[in-house]
Amino acid sequence: MRQFLARIAAGAPVPVFAIAGAGAREQVQDLRLNPGVRLVDSPREANVLLVAGAMPESLAEPLQRIHDAMSHPRCTVVAASPEGRDLHAWLPDATAVALHEPIAGGLVDVHRGILRGDRPSEPALLPDVEPAPWRGVGPFGQGGTGMTGGTPYGRPMADLLDDRDGLRLDILPLTVGPFFPRFPSGLILQATLAGDVVVESAIEANPFTDLDFEMVTPSPTLGPFLRALSAPVPIAELELARARSHLRWLADALVSQGLHALGVRVLALAARVRPGDGEEVRKLERLLRGTQVFRWSLGGVGPIAAERLIAIAAGPVARASGIAEDARADDPAYRELGFTPVTQRAGDAAARWRQRLAEAEQALDLAGRAGPRQTEVRGQVEGPRGLLLAEGAPTGRLYELVPELLAGLEWGDAIATIVSLDLDLEEAALAAQLTAGVPVA
Amino acid sequence: MSEERLVDVLFWVFAIGSVVTGYRVFRTDSMVRAAFYLLASFAAVGGILVLLGAEFLGMVLILMMAGEMLVMAIVMVMFMMNPAGLNPMWMVHQHRIAVAAGVVAFLAIASLGFLVDFPDQPNARPELATEQLGIELLGDSMLVFQTAGVALLSTMAGVVVLASRRGRYGIADEGSEEPPLQPDEVDLLGEEATP
Amino acid sequence: MRTYASPEFALLAVGFTMVVGIYVVAMLDHVVGGRVAARPLLWREIVAGPARSAALLIVQRRMTTERTDTPGWMLAPALFAALAATALALVPLGPDLVVADPETGFVVFSAAIAFVMIAVFLHGWSPNSALPLHGAYRYAAQALSFQIPFLLAMLATALPAESLSIVEIVAAQESAWNVVRQPLGLPIYLVVGLAVSFWGPLNLPDGADLAGGTSAEDSGIARLLWQAARAAMLVAIAAMGAAGFLGGWWGPWLSGIVWMLLKTVALLVLLIAAGHLLARVRIERFVVVAWVLLIPLALVNIFVSGAFLL
Repeated sequence: MRQFLARIAAGAPVPVFAIAGAGAREQVQDLRLNPGVRLVDSPREANVLLVAGAMPESLAEPLQRIHDAMSHPRCTVVAASPEGRDLHAWLPDATAVALHEPIAGGLVDVHRGILRGDRPSEPALLPDVEPAPWRGVGPFGQGGTGMTGGTPYGRPMADLLDDRDGLRLDILPLTVGPFFPRFPSGLILQATLAGDVVVESAIEANPFTDLDFEMVTPSPTLGPFLRALSAPVPIAELELARARSHLRWLADALVSQGLHALGVRVLALAARVRPGDGEEVRKLERLLRGTQVFRWSLGGVGPIAAERLIAIAAGPVARASGIAEDARADDPAYRELGFTPVTQRAGDAAARWRQRLAEAEQALDLAGRAGPRQTEVRGQVEGPRGLLLAEGAPTGRLYELVPELLAGLEWGDAIATIVSLDLDLEEAALAAQLTAGVPVA
Repeated sequence: MSEERLVDVLFWVFAIGSVVTGYRVFRTDSMVRAAFYLLASFAAVGGILVLLGAEFLGMVLILMMAGEMLVMAIVMVMFMMNPAGLNPMWMVHQHRIAVAAGVVAFLAIASLGFLVDFPDQPNARPELATEQLGIELLGDSMLVFQTAGVALLSTMAGVVVLASRRGRYGIADEGSEEPPLQPDEVDLLGEEATP
Repeated sequence: MRTYASPEFALLAVGFTMVVGIYVVAMLDHVVGGRVAARPLLWREIVAGPARSAALLIVQRRMTTERTDTPGWMLAPALFAALAATALALVPLGPDLVVADPETGFVVFSAAIAFVMIAVFLHGWSPNSALPLHGAYRYAAQALSFQIPFLLAMLATALPAESLSIVEIVAAQESAWNVVRQPLGLPIYLVVGLAVSFWGPLNLPDGADLAGGTSAEDSGIARLLWQAARAAMLVAIAAMGAAGFLGGWWGPWLSGIVWMLLKTVALLVLLIAAGHLLARVRIERFVVVAWVLLIPLALVNIFVSGAFLL
């Protein structure tokens, strides 16, 4: 009976919990386009753990934890270039797949193998030990000193904190990340929740700064911007990469707002869009307005005042609050094309979505008209997330804003705000290493 | 099995279930479980009401108790210093006196059941029970009850509005603060205390 | 004499309807999702897809969390499925074709809908995990907000029938469907229907921002049961909407059963399309809209239809 069910189950889309490390973000995103693979939000639902790209050592234990949280029958697939040997040390039973070939085929094969029983389900990597063993004196394990006997199971007694509604509620400290499906890889958020409202939050330091980016190939949408720091790059190529970056971000953002199918549609658009296809983005914006995402989901969520963003040069985030700063305006080649920065006024999450859509449309128009022109400014470039300098990337500059942004937001709004900021920890760490003169492929 | 037998079996299931889950309310270690055991007890009573032919009352009891017990569970969690109600706790206080009082009350009511002479007039099951119930309860004052219902609803909504962020002392997230209990704690210079 | 099927037949009929309904919902979801994603669809994928996914979940072994409330966790999907079955049992396919037709059918349906909040809360609280717990509390807020608009919208359909029995509510639509006589009723009912089965724009307890919410720790058969129960509840909502607002078995040329099925499927397609084409609503906004907009609209609906009857 079990064999029969396993044979039928082999035809179902493989539930994969995909983790994208450095240099693999786009391949993992593109798995959504493949009907044989289903990216899931929780490792419990997954049978296959995919770790693609390079990972710093500080993320080894979270990887192992996620591996142990998967349901049996489980298997791991590691898709990394040869420098990913560390990953094999941390996940010993994993199957290796080459990163620069389609990963989906490997996932389906491994999954079928494990359903047929070709290999056993992988055992747990971490010891099965209670993290905070505790036993009180009462008959149910309660009691002892204090009302509930100290800190049962590591949970401190509920403290009271002032809340925005004037109610004093219990607080719940919660650590989310580094592989929370809505966050960029590596983002660890330590939030203190009172009810469903985030009262305090803090973001841990970027774990990717420990990673040696020498051997990591930057993704195709980031590569042109990094090259433009030191050499002339055709404007058409740069603007096409910008539009693609915005559309890829939009696909993930749509999934976070419950529009999975639309996210797949946008991802397919990102792959096939060509210079001059501004009309496609306009059609997309009309479609999005019809879903009411700007009114119901994002209207008034996470507003950032323009004063907070003046010196940060955070690209679309700043321009969505009305600050018309754009490094492209300093470039004579762009001025020839008649470039002016696009801005929104509201500064909330809906404005940031609209800003990126408008910028994608503008980028495609520019790419269509650019012809053979090349960038003429070195040392700085307006990346898809903001001003990319040899000294730093916009994500690092936005870090300090996040705790004050999230304070007082309901959880869903907090997630929507973080998604709307388009943080990219890999880019931030990579830019930091550029100052050391690390060559970029 | 015949309908009468089914009714008997169901009655005993509901009755014993009601008593047992009622007892479990006090012997469990978790607030949410206690609230849901109580819900199970009430649902069993609702089942007995349906068996008695009072369909509307039984179903409305179940309908109301679902929402009420959920709110009770949430309010219990809100007031106890037990994070999300997930830690075990001893649910009872002064339980010896309570048990004694409960046993005495049970014996008193049970003795009523045995000693009182209940009337024995089997009624035919009414055809339009709900309509008759409505006329009996509301009589000539149907419109009054309707208006009273809507008025009560708006009162509830108004209470929540008054208690919420736009409280009596201003908007909560703009630093509204109730005046202190001791008058000399008021800052006489009129500066707002930091919230 | 009210119609009540024998218990054995009732179990069989409702069970069969649920399985078929769940399969249809899964297929429709796949088709609508594929069309919205502009992805080519294969017939084999559509027809065999739900069975394959179900087999995959049956083969998967369940994982538990630390110190779960196991009875509660096991009870939640079973309770949800039972409530969907109860709601389905009340829907008539024809004037004599109903599994159970109690005199207070509307109240039984409402009690089944109200108990869903218990099932979802148990499902979120039992795994002893933060994100499912958050989803459970969100559903408590959502459910308490939609209860009154739901009761009022459905109560308006009972007014022309002068009875709480579902069969009589449908029978009273012989002259005109309720969607024509009480135009506000169906939109409110559909919004509440999405909220009860937390589908699509109102999928707040199991939302993407909670990484699956109350289902975040589910695996194996428990997950399959929960998803199946959600689909069954959607079918029950669509069926009751077809009976209460779209005239049930009334319609020219075709037989009553066919009309009932067509109307149910039409409402199902509408609900599933809303799931794929409407963005998630913020919980705060939904609560405010439910109390401030839907209740007055539902009251207006009742007063106007009452005035017409008088």
